[in-house]
Amino acid sequence: MQEKIIKYIEEELANEELDGGLEATEDLLGSGILDSLGMMKLIAFLEDEFGCKVLPEEMVIENFMTVAHVNDYLVSKQ
Amino acid sequence: MDFSWTEEQLQFKNEVISFAETKLNDSHLVNDHKLEFMRKNWQLCADFGMLSLSVPKQYGTHTKDIDILSAILAMEGLGYGCRDNGLPFAMNAQMWTVQLPIAQFGTETQKETFLPKLTSGEWIACHALTEPEAGSDVFNMQTTATKVEGGYILNGKKHLITLGPVCDIALVFAVTNPTLGKWGLSVFIVEKGTKGFETSLNKAKMGLRTVPIGDLTFTDCFVKEENRLGSEGAGWSITNHSLELDRCSVHASQIGAMERQLEASIAYVKQRKQFGKSVGQFQSVSNRIADMKLRLETSRLLLYKVAWLKSQGKSAMLESAMLKLQISESFVASSLDTIRNHGGYGYLTENEVERDLRDAVGGVIYAGTSDIQRNIIAKTIGL
Repeated sequence: MQEKIIKYIEEELANEELDGGLEATEDLLGSGILDSLGMMKLIAFLEDEFGCKVLPEEMVIENFMTVAHVNDYLVSKQ
Repeated sequence: MDFSWTEEQLQFKNEVISFAETKLNDSHLVNDHKLEFMRKNWQLCADFGMLSLSVPKQYGTHTKDIDILSAILAMEGLGYGCRDNGLPFAMNAQMWTVQLPIAQFGTETQKETFLPKLTSGEWIACHALTEPEAGSDVFNMQTTATKVEGGYILNGKKHLITLGPVCDIALVFAVTNPTLGKWGLSVFIVEKGTKGFETSLNKAKMGLRTVPIGDLTFTDCFVKEENRLGSEGAGWSITNHSLELDRCSVHASQIGAMERQLEASIAYVKQRKQFGKSVGQFQSVSNRIADMKLRLETSRLLLYKVAWLKSQGKSAMLESAMLKLQISESFVASSLDTIRNHGGYGYLTENEVERDLRDAVGGVIYAGTSDIQRNIIAKTIGL
């Protein structure tokens, strides 16, 4: 799951070329890897790819700060 | 693919049109001239149930929950029947950017405290996001909320806030943790009369002149912790949650207004005679009206698509950006065409044709400029 998310971000969403690839612990929104639109696209991707529904109140730093957070969040919803 | 509406939905739309035409059109010319907000009409709309369209039934005046498609159709009816474009605009601002976030993110106490007062018309609320240096770059805000015992201290200034000068509560976005960037924003419900919270007077503007707009200032303004909406850092998700629905509904009213313009244009060019025949028989005129019809229907299709996507719980990032761009630019173009169709008659303020153009221009600026919508569209399709 984590690899799929990283691949999607690197290939489709990242604002700039990521030297050495995206680390699972990098801050996505705060560091500017993603902008607001990119984060919304990521959420749409997660819903399509993993069949989950991300509730508005779940779009918080605890769940979406890094790919690792996203992964943990998705696991918790399964 | 099914584009049909139920009898119940159509009946509700017709009731809204009838209500608007008979109750809301008596003083808008004077109000527009004098920059007057018509609290009486706001109350009439609340009593009719319009402000309750965006909240669950227990917080409003309806006996059942209203689905988004029915709400959109009702707002289209309001835009058609109400010749004051400012009133639906202002109502939408409260309904989708204040009431909806409270309904979605609020505690039960917040919902029970604020929503009934707002949907009943007793209180008016504004959404305070924009700042002097944070317009399109909205997350570059300077307003801060510093945590103290029992709450937060707000400092900063909000700018161009719809309904700001007449608000009873404001939904205020502020930075609670600057090191977290977009995750560091939180939202607070600030009540009128709170020490350190001041509103400016209404500011004159080109169009939508019946809607008060102004600045909010917070100077060491203490807000209780129980007035924070959502968790600390939820500002980003609260903004994004309401964005698509706000774009959908505010522009539903403009669809109604564009239909009204089209009907007025057809009626006028059929009865207006020059060179021995109706001016509508000249292709320069009839082609222009055909373009108006095309704009109306393409805009309407996009609107219904976004409303349908939201009714299915789906994301509508691309579609809502296209909708915002399409309708706001179409409303400007069709408003100008309507003046051309009416000739000198349309240029005189007393005949109510030119006002739509003044009202329409704001649409290409507020809630994300047309430039920003094009950026979103381009980025969403991979550029």
